[in-house]
Amino acid sequence: MPNPPDTNRPEPARKVTSDLAARIASAKKDHQVEAKEAAARASGGSTNLGRAMRLGSEFIAAVLVGTGIGYVLDAWLGTRPWIMLVMLLIGFGAGILNVTRAVAEMNAASPPPKDADLGPDDEDET
Amino acid sequence: MADPTRVDPIHQFGITNVFSFGGEGGFALTNSALFMVVSVVVILGYLLLSTAGRRVVPTRAQVVSEMLYEFVANMVQGAAGKEGMKFFPFLFALFMFVLAANMFGMFPYFFAVTSHIIVTFALAMLVISIVIIYGFLRNGPKFLKLFVPAGVPGYVLPIVVPIEIVSFLSRPVSLSVRLFANILAGHITVKVFAGFIVSLGALGWLGFLGASLPLFMTIAITALELMIAALQAYVFAVLSAMYINDAIHPSH
Repeated sequence: MPNPPDTNRPEPARKVTSDLAARIASAKKDHQVEAKEAAARASGGSTNLGRAMRLGSEFIAAVLVGTGIGYVLDAWLGTRPWIMLVMLLIGFGAGILNVTRAVAEMNAASPPPKDADLGPDDEDET
Repeated sequence: MADPTRVDPIHQFGITNVFSFGGEGGFALTNSALFMVVSVVVILGYLLLSTAGRRVVPTRAQVVSEMLYEFVANMVQGAAGKEGMKFFPFLFALFMFVLAANMFGMFPYFFAVTSHIIVTFALAMLVISIVIIYGFLRNGPKFLKLFVPAGVPGYVLPIVVPIEIVSFLSRPVSLSVRLFANILAGHITVKVFAGFIVSLGALGWLGFLGASLPLFMTIAITALELMIAALQAYVFAVLSAMYINDAIHPSH
């Protein structure tokens, strides 16, 4: 927000208020940057343990759910164990998908600094 | 526990009746239900009392309430956008309940409500039901696009669609297992290390020295548990917001 026009006040007072507005603006900016960093730290678990728990549970849950659906379908259709085996593989795929999505979120939440050296990539090879 | 040196880290999760009437099959208030009620009452009481004054220059208590509001509001807007604010009351209630329940679980002799998977699973099913019902209400059959990622050639769809469906169905499971496992494992760890203090302390002066090690460990883990209690409440709420975002915008 730009400084509000305060024409009917004496010069020193105007200077004080504009100074105050600038200070409020810069303090707000600092606060926003801090909040953003805090959010980035927190999403996906700020700790490595939190991240490990997140990824592990995402993967295992998908495998268990897939296998469970296969088990129920088998019991219902009397085709034990074939659907369960297929659903186990599909659950595995879903687990990989979950983990990839979770990691993509984590990466998006905390991108590497601009000048970070991420090692050689394809363009570096001559 | 009859023998005080015997460590029983699972004992704390037992469900007992605080009071009951009507005998078998009648009404009973369990310790789990009691702490759910306590959590809700404390949240409601704190938020109502602290904001009752509606001061322009807030008191300390009011500042805490406002910070909680802004924290969750920012989180919901970040995860689900402006439209997701429709679900702010739900997500705020969810976050506050899980946070309060986790924090009450940290008190000695208190019961950790979220250490039972049926509680966390019920919360997760609530979230996923809202996602499914609101998704269909808002988008109609287009909600099923959630399971058909855009730009995938037709011949891989028979594989991709089941994978997407299983991935969607695994969400409530991973959501509930994560919260429950964190709280359960944390409480057991604290109990086990605290039990070491007692068993080592019974071994004479050398054991007394040795007992200081698990004592420091217990203090450190308690601090870690406090952080995990807050963090898991946040993770639970932020993931719920993300899933609700899927209901609002079903295409990936």
